[in-house]
Amino acid sequence: MFETIAQAVINGLLIGGIYALVSIGVTLIFGVVKIVNFAQGEFVMIGMYISFFLATQFGIDPILSLFVSMPVLFFVGVVIQHFLIRRVLGLNDLPQIFLTFALSLLILNLALMLLTANYRTVHTWYSDEAFHIGGLYIPVAKFIAFVLAMVLSGTLWVFLHTTDLGKAMRAASQNRDVAQLMGINPDRVFAVALGVALALAGAAGSLLMPFYPAYPLVGQVFVLMAFVAVVLGTLGNVIGALVASLLMGIAESLGIQFIGADSGLIVVFLLLLTTLAVRPSGLAGGWRR
Amino acid sequence: MPRLHGWGWLVLGGVTVVMLILPYLVKSSFAVDIFIRVLLFSFIGTAWNLLGGYAKQLSLGHAAFFGLGAYTSTLLQIDFGISPWIGMVAGGLVAMLASLPIGWLCFRLRGPYFTIATIATAQVLMLIFLKFRDFAWGAEGTTIPNLGHAPLMMQFETKIPYYYIVLGLLCVALMITAGIERSRLGYYLVAIGEDEDAAEAIGVDVPRIKRNIYMVSSFLTALAGTFYTQYIYFIDPQTAFNFNVSIEAALVSIVGGIGTLWGPVIGTVLLETTSALLQSWLGNSIGGVQLTIYALILMAVILWRPTGIMGYLIEVYGRRLRSNPAEA
Repeated sequence: MFETIAQAVINGLLIGGIYALVSIGVTLIFGVVKIVNFAQGEFVMIGMYISFFLATQFGIDPILSLFVSMPVLFFVGVVIQHFLIRRVLGLNDLPQIFLTFALSLLILNLALMLLTANYRTVHTWYSDEAFHIGGLYIPVAKFIAFVLAMVLSGTLWVFLHTTDLGKAMRAASQNRDVAQLMGINPDRVFAVALGVALALAGAAGSLLMPFYPAYPLVGQVFVLMAFVAVVLGTLGNVIGALVASLLMGIAESLGIQFIGADSGLIVVFLLLLTTLAVRPSGLAGGWRR
Repeated sequence: MPRLHGWGWLVLGGVTVVMLILPYLVKSSFAVDIFIRVLLFSFIGTAWNLLGGYAKQLSLGHAAFFGLGAYTSTLLQIDFGISPWIGMVAGGLVAMLASLPIGWLCFRLRGPYFTIATIATAQVLMLIFLKFRDFAWGAEGTTIPNLGHAPLMMQFETKIPYYYIVLGLLCVALMITAGIERSRLGYYLVAIGEDEDAAEAIGVDVPRIKRNIYMVSSFLTALAGTFYTQYIYFIDPQTAFNFNVSIEAALVSIVGGIGTLWGPVIGTVLLETTSALLQSWLGNSIGGVQLTIYALILMAVILWRPTGIMGYLIEVYGRRLRSNPAEA
């Protein structure tokens, strides 16, 4: 019994690292630009396909293709900020919500059209390997993904707290107008926030590729988790999102273990709705403008 | 919406006559099927528009009520032999009741978080219906027993009666909307949509108004669910609680003109015509084409015409009035 629970917790924790990369991106964009990016999951999907094509065409290991997927998605983020999101800043909820929502629909369905709904997998030498510690089983691919996800999250935290640009981003997220008065260029800060957030999503995609199939709808799974984690961890808070993501991973995994294989999502949604029901003042407070 | 004058009534009368004889003008059942889809989504969009358009509560969870309506009438029909005509109203009432706890939960939130919470409620309902197989057939769903020509059980041998049913539903929804638009409630809704805090400050009972309009909106959406199930003779959680229903309800309203009487209808005509044309050009072979085009249209509207087609028409019409005062 203890071992079953420990195994479920480990499984949850490992996948929670990936959720963390996605939700940190969502929370970063929300914190700085005040936009909820409904398309974040689709960028994970793009990251996965980049790694998939690099692996099948050039034999590049999916983990190494981080060095391609992250810069590519950083650039995509800057472009999206410049040509799309910048145009709806300061407008009401409708354009802000439905712009990224439309973007998500567009990318998802373009992927369906161009790449078909087939599942694509990459098999690496470590895909089937695992560490055995006592009776516990730790897949190598998931372990690498988890460690790198934590390293990237840590790097982001250091970036936000030690560099001028990072401090400017935190300042802009605390109070955009005052930050602007202090000489911070919001366009630049917003572009970097989008770029970094999308690069994290791309990293999540590359890290997933050795043990998770790529398909056009794959992002939906992760973006839902990310929304829950972002709410649980209070909006705009990077550490909060990280901790909440790990907890979400564990909750999902325990749900699968004890309620049934198809109940992972239901546990997640119920968590979301309970959070919303129990902590409305904190949340609603955060969302008042 | 300005009150109609001479020409307006003439156009409305003309459209009504055309709509009434339309299924007899075209002989192909493919075309009638498209008309039914257009009317159905105009109807769902109109129901969504009451909450999403006037009060600007941007729900992406209306599939919850669509599905509840569909399941209520189907369960009543198959388990108890009750006619879907009664089941339709029962489904509406179930959806209305369900909107109370859902609204209680979601209306605590604003902006994007309201939207996310509504998505979650619809998904939870779908997962519940997927999971409890003894209660409602689980993931396999069920077919509606075909009784041939049975008007009392909402079953017909041709598509034409379905056309008139959904046309009737749309007319009812439009009349309700027109009524609300001119009532005190309509002004409250617009006030909430403009600025919730300001509305509250001047004495609008915001929670009560939101709750009431959510009940009306979910009741109407549930009727569409029953109708659709009877029309396709099949129900399963994936079709009944399909996220695309939630998306399209919002999409047609936004493209046509959010918070306007005719917006959802105009939006649906544009989107469904585009999708029908695409299908006849490309066939059904390539997945994702329709939603790709919808997404592009939605983005274009958001970036260039946030008030939708109706907003644009009102702008042009208004300008003409100003430049030519004699006509006004």
